[in-house]
Amino acid sequence: MRAHVASYDLVQPGSLREVLTLLAREPGVYRPLAGGTDVMVVYAGGKLAHTKFVDVHGLRELRGIVVTDDAVTLGALTTYTDVQAEPTLGREFPMMGQAASETGGWAIQNRGTLGGNIANASPAADSPPALLAYDASVELTSTRGARWVSYATYHTGYKTTVRAEDELVTRVRIPRIAPGAQGSRVHMFRKVGPRKAQAISKVSFAACVDVDGTRITSARVALGGVAPVVLRVVATEGALVGADVTTLDVAAIGATLSREVTPIDDIRSTARYRRRVAENLFVELTRKLKAHVGLGSQAR
Amino acid sequence: MTASSVGKPLDRVDGRLKVTGTATFSAEVAVANVAHAVIVGATISKGKITALDVGEAQRVPGVVAVLTHLNAAKVPGADKPTEMTDKVVQVLQNDAVLYDGQPIALVVADTLEHASHAASLVKATYAAEAAICEMDKEIGAGFAPKAAPGRPPPDSNRGDIDAALATAFARVDATYTTPCENHNPLEMHATIAVFQGEDHLTLYDATQGIFGLRKRISKAFDLKPENVRVISHFVGGGFGSKGSAWSHVFLAAMASRATGRAVKLSITRQQMFAFVGYRPQTIQQVTAAASKDGTLVALRHEVTSATSRFDTFAEPSANVTRMLYACPNVKTSHRLVRLDVATPTFTRAPGEASGSFALESALDELSYSLKMDPLALRLKNYAETDPDEKKPFSSKTLRDCYTQGAAKFGWSKRKPEPRSMRDGNWLVGFGMATATYPSRQSAASALARVKKDGSAQVLAGSQDIGTGTYTIMTQIAADALGMSVERVHFDLGDTTFPETPVSGGSQTASSVGSAVKRAGMAVRTKLIDLAVKGKGGPLNGMSAEQVDAEAGVLVSKQDRTKSDSYEAVLARNGLDQIEEKIDEKEKAERKDHSTHAFGAHFIEVKVDPDFGEVRVSRVVSAFAAGKILNRKTARSQFIGGIVWGLGLALHEHTERDPRTSRVVTKDLADYHVPVHADVPDMDIVMVDEVDPYVNEIGAKGVGEIGIVGVGAAIANAVYHATGKRVRSLPITLDKLL
Ligand SMILES: Cc1cc2nc3c(=O)[nH]c(=O)nc-3n(C[C@H](O)[C@H](O)[C@H](O)COP(=O)(O)OP(=O)(O)OC[C@H]3O[C@@H](n4cnc5c(N)ncnc54)[C@H](O)[C@@H]3O)c2cc1C
Repeated sequence: MRAHVASYDLVQPGSLREVLTLLAREPGVYRPLAGGTDVMVVYAGGKLAHTKFVDVHGLRELRGIVVTDDAVTLGALTTYTDVQAEPTLGREFPMMGQAASETGGWAIQNRGTLGGNIANASPAADSPPALLAYDASVELTSTRGARWVSYATYHTGYKTTVRAEDELVTRVRIPRIAPGAQGSRVHMFRKVGPRKAQAISKVSFAACVDVDGTRITSARVALGGVAPVVLRVVATEGALVGADVTTLDVAAIGATLSREVTPIDDIRSTARYRRRVAENLFVELTRKLKAHVGLGSQAR
Repeated sequence: MTASSVGKPLDRVDGRLKVTGTATFSAEVAVANVAHAVIVGATISKGKITALDVGEAQRVPGVVAVLTHLNAAKVPGADKPTEMTDKVVQVLQNDAVLYDGQPIALVVADTLEHASHAASLVKATYAAEAAICEMDKEIGAGFAPKAAPGRPPPDSNRGDIDAALATAFARVDATYTTPCENHNPLEMHATIAVFQGEDHLTLYDATQGIFGLRKRISKAFDLKPENVRVISHFVGGGFGSKGSAWSHVFLAAMASRATGRAVKLSITRQQMFAFVGYRPQTIQQVTAAASKDGTLVALRHEVTSATSRFDTFAEPSANVTRMLYACPNVKTSHRLVRLDVATPTFTRAPGEASGSFALESALDELSYSLKMDPLALRLKNYAETDPDEKKPFSSKTLRDCYTQGAAKFGWSKRKPEPRSMRDGNWLVGFGMATATYPSRQSAASALARVKKDGSAQVLAGSQDIGTGTYTIMTQIAADALGMSVERVHFDLGDTTFPETPVSGGSQTASSVGSAVKRAGMAVRTKLIDLAVKGKGGPLNGMSAEQVDAEAGVLVSKQDRTKSDSYEAVLARNGLDQIEEKIDEKEKAERKDHSTHAFGAHFIEVKVDPDFGEVRVSRVVSAFAAGKILNRKTARSQFIGGIVWGLGLALHEHTERDPRTSRVVTKDLADYHVPVHADVPDMDIVMVDEVDPYVNEIGAKGVGEIGIVGVGAAIANAVYHATGKRVRSLPITLDKLL
């Protein structure tokens, strides 16, 4: 049953400073409300246990995308529609736009925010694998100051993160690479879901691999839906780095990935299926890498 | 003759009201001093309520009453269904809990917010018992349902199936299953109940059957039927779930009587999964056997479906197997098992939708054993007459559906081998299946009236459940009256209007349309009579046969300059209006015919072999359903049915926790239906068909046939794409890896 609106308290301070002060005064009492696309679902289901919220959706300080020579920095309130409209992201970080375009439907893309997605910390969320693959950092801000943490260390367990209760997610930074290096970069994003839109991912996958000639110089591979957190498969990445694309031991590295993921059975799918898909996604990545170096075609 | 309106793709006459939000649905009717009621549902699936603490709820400001089994008035008729659509309801009569979400209390307050909040504060204590929701645990206790009056018996047997099987060249034996699927029309069930004194009741209800509701409620509350008025001007989808009076209607009436106020009760999306019916899960065993040339020699279809512990509804999935193909040896049966769940009900094409999945999948399997094209197999076994009723069809143009559908789809491009067609990374598959649905007609009445201003008013109780009834009745009436649709006002949805049947079984167009047509014709005849025999006028003295009616004007067939308007005829004869009420019965010729609509689906799917994603990429469906009354509203019915078929094939599944029997997919986030992006453009072919026997208007009803066969056509396409036969719906991704 829908929750009782009068049992909830929503405050709307005018500035970031005031919001941070409120969060600092009684940490944990007030929780941020951004686009509300996660919070309101719980509310509508009558299961929103937390009752005090501070609206951050109006904070101008958390909006906007800034492109500098070394990074693209996105305000926490950046929506999925904003992401898709940003040309630098489209050129250099195409997986961001792909993930955004496959998040929910248009209404959710207009309303849901990147900050909310990160703070909500669902292991099946779609942008986080792309953020992990692009080695993003997250800025956490409180009255104590601002700190940048590597997104790779942000999630600590199922729906737990390094963010303290008085901290807001304020910005997300994605490092750029030299313009000339773009050509040697392979990006692969794939969301596997039952519907073409409004699908909660069974598995999502993002990989960003740099190749010098035929040798892999760096690899970041991340998956959603296969572990308590969105997961960087670091052992798999380790096996890829330094390897030659033409002689890649797909089976062995695939087995490594399979050991790294820990999917479960739930009402949305089975562990067996998720593991198979994770393995197949990796095989697809290797095909893409081979096609990149001029071996074989991308088609299966 | 007047230019005909019937058949034209007229926009909905109520379209403007709907898109501007001014169509008044049941929960939106402005009623003075209305109180809001919210149902508290049980959180166990079986047991007894040992204590109910309503103290906190009662202290919420604005709360008017909290009804529970401890204080609610007795409703002796609640558990005494008499009609086929009647259900045993749970209306606070005792402490028993029979299923998850069963009403255990009703909170009435001045606002919906207060009522909802107070409802969340009612605390129940239970003595829970083990509840069973899995069919296989109860299958040993399966039993045969009683045949409903006028409906086919649960079992059938023609020929000698065992002898035929012994000689068959190819044979398929397989078990198919379909899951529980919950009703989720856009508009959730809603009632406003207004007791005036002790013995008059008005119900504004989202219902598919105002007269059935009046009968059930007047009996249960011991009221005279004429003292109960049911009004239902707009219904936001019913699909069978609004064909019965469920618990909430009784509860709203009880609350109105108890509080002396009008009471509005609109159930929540979550409660759609509790007590308003669903398509029950089925287990279907099919044997299909053929001789070498593809001639079917035997069909066996044994169905077990689930029902509640306390009421009976059988999903008649095998009925379609009895009549669809010319097969001499056919044996079918229906069994039920009881579970600790709510009672299932009619769900768009009950029986045909689930049963055709099994039958049409089995035929597809047989086609591969025979190395025969699936369409050729169907054509080989085309039934020229109804093999079950042993009567000629009133009309059957299925062959044209097959050929026109196949041609438009490009069926001939299908490569017979599974996994032989590709589009880049995706495997491509073609699947087809036959669709059929009975064309019913029930007794119905209608009244037509031409007024002195030359406009017409036409009334029939009936309901428009979103199908376009207002529109097609306006068209039928206009043609019958010899008027233009702009001058005809058709109204429905009120038990003070002439009596009509439930809008179920695709029978509204057929039943109400026939009555409306005859009422309109009767008024036209009277007008012509007056013009030729009444006082003066340009047509006076002619014979009635010499006069035509056209856009509200009578004209001489010989000399079209001689004309007389309806207004003039009425004015000259000193009449305010002319009206006729017609009580239309089933058309007599129906008795000697089998009456069905037919169709064929051709569907292309693309399947990702590595991830198991299935995308329906093309749909061509051809239907022969008698006269198409409005090509636009008919197309909407067909595509609506097909979209639901996509859901049935790929998504829909009400999941229960087997430990508690409770539903875990209680909203549209977890209960998946197709989204727009999943639905390709559909090519709907409406094959011309003239049927002089089925009813007065020659139309067969198009509300349900669209979904029939879609499950199989998609499953068959998935097999063709992947070589994987999925016999258990829905075809989720994990079943393909
Ligand atoms: C129909 C539907 C479809 C969806 N589909 C997808 C999908 O395909 N993929 C996907 O990944 N997600 C999906 N979501 C989930 C949701 O839309 C996203 O997670 C979205 O990004 C959340 O952002 P928000 O601003 O709406 O968050 P909110 O609901 O406002 O907040 C979510 C959580 O984050 C916290 N929070 C928000 N902003 C901050 C901040 N700046 N600092 C600290 N904490 C903060 C809140 O306190 C809350 O706990 C869907 C949701 C719906 C309703």
